[in-house]
Amino acid sequence: MMVDLGGPGTACSAMRVRRLTAGELQGADRDRTQQHVDGCARCQALLRELADERARLARDVPFDAFAAGVAEKLAHTQRPPRFARWAPLAAAAALLLAVGTTLTLRPSDDGGVRSKGGAAVALFQRSGAEVHAVQAVVGKGPIMVHLEPAGHAYAAVVLVEPGESSLLYAGPARAELPEAFEWTGTARRATLLTVFADKPLDGETLRREGAKGAPKGAEVVQVPLERGQ
Amino acid sequence: MAVSALRVIAGGRAGEKDPGPLRVRADAGLLAEMYEKHAAAVYGRCRYLLRDDEGAKDALQEVFAKALRALPEFREAASPATWVLRIATHHCLNELRARRAAWRDQLAELAKDRRNEVEPPERRALVRALLSAAPAEAQEVAVLYFVDELTQAEIAQATGRSLPTVRKRLRDFLAAARAALAEALPGIALPEGDEP
Repeated sequence: MMVDLGGPGTACSAMRVRRLTAGELQGADRDRTQQHVDGCARCQALLRELADERARLARDVPFDAFAAGVAEKLAHTQRPPRFARWAPLAAAAALLLAVGTTLTLRPSDDGGVRSKGGAAVALFQRSGAEVHAVQAVVGKGPIMVHLEPAGHAYAAVVLVEPGESSLLYAGPARAELPEAFEWTGTARRATLLTVFADKPLDGETLRREGAKGAPKGAEVVQVPLERGQ
Repeated sequence: MAVSALRVIAGGRAGEKDPGPLRVRADAGLLAEMYEKHAAAVYGRCRYLLRDDEGAKDALQEVFAKALRALPEFREAASPATWVLRIATHHCLNELRARRAAWRDQLAELAKDRRNEVEPPERRALVRALLSAAPAEAQEVAVLYFVDELTQAEIAQATGRSLPTVRKRLRDFLAAARAALAEALPGIALPEGDEP
């Protein structure tokens, strides 16, 4: 039996109908789409599905519960289990302030650490009202990790300390990690290991095995860190 | 935490020149508008991909937290509906990869759900089951094409990829889908050809 997986129709598109109902289409484009939808059985069926979606949302996640959940997600930084020495900041406001400010900076050519393949890592630290690029010595204050993935789709970041490692991030490669961090342990030295790859990375393997756990074809960047006075 | 305690700094990621804090009322108003316009679609997408209502609720909130963190990108998107659904799709596909979703099990489930052998499996359920058989890079493009029904040109525009790359991703998805069906649902086949 042959089955058709679907796809865009000649004038039908689920996303187009969604955009129409979200008020995103304007002028002649909106009128043309509305006219099509009015006379199209497939689009009418989709409109009924969208109405069902709205009813289900209102029933399952009313606005108050939604808003409280979003607020909590924003305020809460998730703390992975083995994370004591490199603690994510608790306050979302402080976190986002750090992100917003560091993004006004750009690492200079000689700032950060770059791999042979072009991927790079730079750290910025906020101290009082100032934000500065971290070379190797880390002071007190929230730190943002800035990634230049050089075309790689995934990244993982691990803090390797003597006798213990903490996974800071594993997921899609992005310019800024979603959370700022503070190095709160007592170790004097550590290495920030960053692995860039084209496939999803197993953060736990990297945490356990360090750079040796990087898959074939991955780019590895290691930034030595030293705790300042 | 209640919404009134929330304080979001605008321009978090894109860094607006003067990122004034969005306080209580602005947040509540903005979030209400986002909820009204986009939350149903995002919740529907999360339920569709995750097949888990509790997981979908959590994903819904996570997606909008991400959207708020990237507020300037959301506001500047040519189509905020497309933008936020892409965030939701990404989030859920990552979740599924983390769960190592087993396409063999899902196809077997689809086969069991059919009332008789001449009844085709439900189209979108089949697409969902086949997603985890496909390479990661092809999954999002497959959702944009087969679920959101964007044209290949629209996908190229929405994702910032070239048209040949989009075509290649779709071909990769179809090749993986054919192989998965041949193995797990031999009575079902996709039409011949490289293009969908």
